[in-house]
Amino acid sequence: MSNGPAEQDFFAASEAAVADTQLRRKLENATGRHLDHVAATRAEFPAYEAERDASRRIKEDSIARLDDLLVQLKERLEANGCSVFVAADAAEARKYIVDLARERGARRVVKGKSMATEEIALNPALIEAGCDVVETDLGEYIVQLRGERPSHIITPAIHLSKEDIGLLFNEKLHIPYTSEPTALTAAARERLREVFLAADMGVTGANFAIAETGTLVLVENEGNGRMSSTLPEVFVAVMGIEKVIPSMADLSHFLEVLARTATGQKLTTYTNFISGPRREGEADGPREVHVVMLDNGRTRMLADPVLREALYCLRCGACLNVCPIYRRVGGHAYGSTYPGPIGSIVSPSLFGGATATLPFASTLCGACREICPVKIDIPRILLHLRWKETADNSDGTLPTPKWPRAAGRARGGVEIFSRMANHPLTVRVMGRLAALAMWPFARRGYVRWMPPPFTNWTRVRNFPVPRFRRRRKARNQAQSKAASDGTQA
Amino acid sequence: MAEFHKVIANLRDALERPAAEAHNGAAAASAAAVPTTKAARRVELASQFARELQAVGGHFLGTPTPKETIARVLGVAAALNAQQVAFGAGILTDPAPIIDALELAGITVIRTAAIGDDAARAELRGKLAQCDFAVVEADYAIGATGTLAMIATPERPGSLTLLPPVNVILVSAERILPDLAAALEAIGPAAITSHRLALITGPSRTADIEKRIVLGVHGPREIHVAAVWHGDD
Repeated sequence: MSNGPAEQDFFAASEAAVADTQLRRKLENATGRHLDHVAATRAEFPAYEAERDASRRIKEDSIARLDDLLVQLKERLEANGCSVFVAADAAEARKYIVDLARERGARRVVKGKSMATEEIALNPALIEAGCDVVETDLGEYIVQLRGERPSHIITPAIHLSKEDIGLLFNEKLHIPYTSEPTALTAAARERLREVFLAADMGVTGANFAIAETGTLVLVENEGNGRMSSTLPEVFVAVMGIEKVIPSMADLSHFLEVLARTATGQKLTTYTNFISGPRREGEADGPREVHVVMLDNGRTRMLADPVLREALYCLRCGACLNVCPIYRRVGGHAYGSTYPGPIGSIVSPSLFGGATATLPFASTLCGACREICPVKIDIPRILLHLRWKETADNSDGTLPTPKWPRAAGRARGGVEIFSRMANHPLTVRVMGRLAALAMWPFARRGYVRWMPPPFTNWTRVRNFPVPRFRRRRKARNQAQSKAASDGTQA
Repeated sequence: MAEFHKVIANLRDALERPAAEAHNGAAAASAAAVPTTKAARRVELASQFARELQAVGGHFLGTPTPKETIARVLGVAAALNAQQVAFGAGILTDPAPIIDALELAGITVIRTAAIGDDAARAELRGKLAQCDFAVVEADYAIGATGTLAMIATPERPGSLTLLPPVNVILVSAERILPDLAAALEAIGPAAITSHRLALITGPSRTADIEKRIVLGVHGPREIHVAAVWHGDD
């Protein structure tokens, strides 16, 4: 299930993923829709770039004085009545939370959406200690029911279609089959509401921690984080130590960019501020608040001047959606809690092992850097990690991935093409023939289906009807027209 | 000589820079609309808030006076055929007349107040989870995003905007602020250290199934907001 460290090789896993055309269609669909939303929201917010720069500066400053800010944060949290535990690694964090659950006799644990708890593989540890652990973010709930790990930082079930989820709910929740998202969500709401009302302990992550006030900020849309931090008597937040920011005034800059980039919203539905346990006379809120500050390799990243920049990450997930690699293979192929471009940096640094090859799973196209709300230079860090990985290899050679069969076939195809491309006449004749052969399948300018053995070409994308001959004629005409216009003027 | 302001405007067009590219876009946008009087500015903010609230799936109940607010709340109750309504204590709007009107209409009103012990706590939680809708006043609202700021107190617990399926939220029109930064400043660090705060932007929602938006996952599926007009002072 959800294990922090990777146990598979990306190059082997991606072969299966690329061959799964269903998966690719689902990913293209979901990531494309996300990018449309993001572009639209940004376009109507002229201050976006200014807010982005401000966020970047605050992160640079916060990480540069992480030591002082964490001391201040811990003091303030404790003054507000929270218990703070600093965990050097995943094992320490797990042990603290499992021991706490045992001591308080907490059997029923609800989880809000949290990557940090995925990172430390908290669920298996709690289950082993005899707790019922229920993920309450809808996407996380779905992947938990399937016994999988999330395949995206903010959209855990991005690899599943509504039909997949319909079948899953039919089997696991014993409801009549439906693929209607509204009905599926309603079924989950009903089930999870019972779980919330009976829960003994709530566990979530934290998006920001304000040092000035000793406040955890939890950003979400469904209400799972708010439920988990409001209803159970014991509340635990697991935060990476890089989440601390100086003051409340700094927060607004991040909130202005985070949702716009993560989901294309102006602000998420809920922004929850939690500073301490409930006060005298309050009807809700936890009796105890525990904050686990998680290092787990972050200090190592901080010590490397190039890697340090990766600690600015807000975990918005946008770099996954723009990444041409992620969009083809999906999150599971990365074999880590953190997939995609930022995951290819964070995973080797935090987990090592098989994830060491992840920095090579990139074309360095730079789309991730363009969309990043805090302008992390992801390609630069990937190159740095490649260099380190190569230098660390005793013989100083690149780690050669075992190229999958599909890649071998593709290379064969490219070889044939390149031979043909050396002869202009062959290209022209073959191109004409191909265009003629495709003509009968064209519908409104696109070829959406071709007979075998070409079916795969149009399975996840449409082929524009080739008519380059006419286009060239048009271009030549346009050029000669422009030339004559020029002489007249 | 060409008119200077036209030259500058052309330069801005060429650079694709908005007229007042300030650090804060929302503030700049509302400042550009220049409502001159306090009341006009308040109307401008309320209408901006209404647009944004509707964009995230909320319903706007207009800018009623405290007296008119009673009818708006009764309207929601009638539409939902409500039997039980939870009511949080007011801030600037007196809840007593609205509660009286609801009770007169035969609706059971659950009033939230400071809780003494665990039994009372469990009882209130059960009632809030069962009621048809809850009415509560927000501390502030944000025009640029359609957001409501709720500071939890014993008289206005956070569960009011979490457990019931529908919310009617009242906010004083003069407490609608232009943007997030202004709202966080108004709330201030002191309130945040001593109370839990939730910024709420529309009904609870998810896009976890094929990125399709569904409202009402864990929290309310409907939010109705009235910007209560207390006078032009």
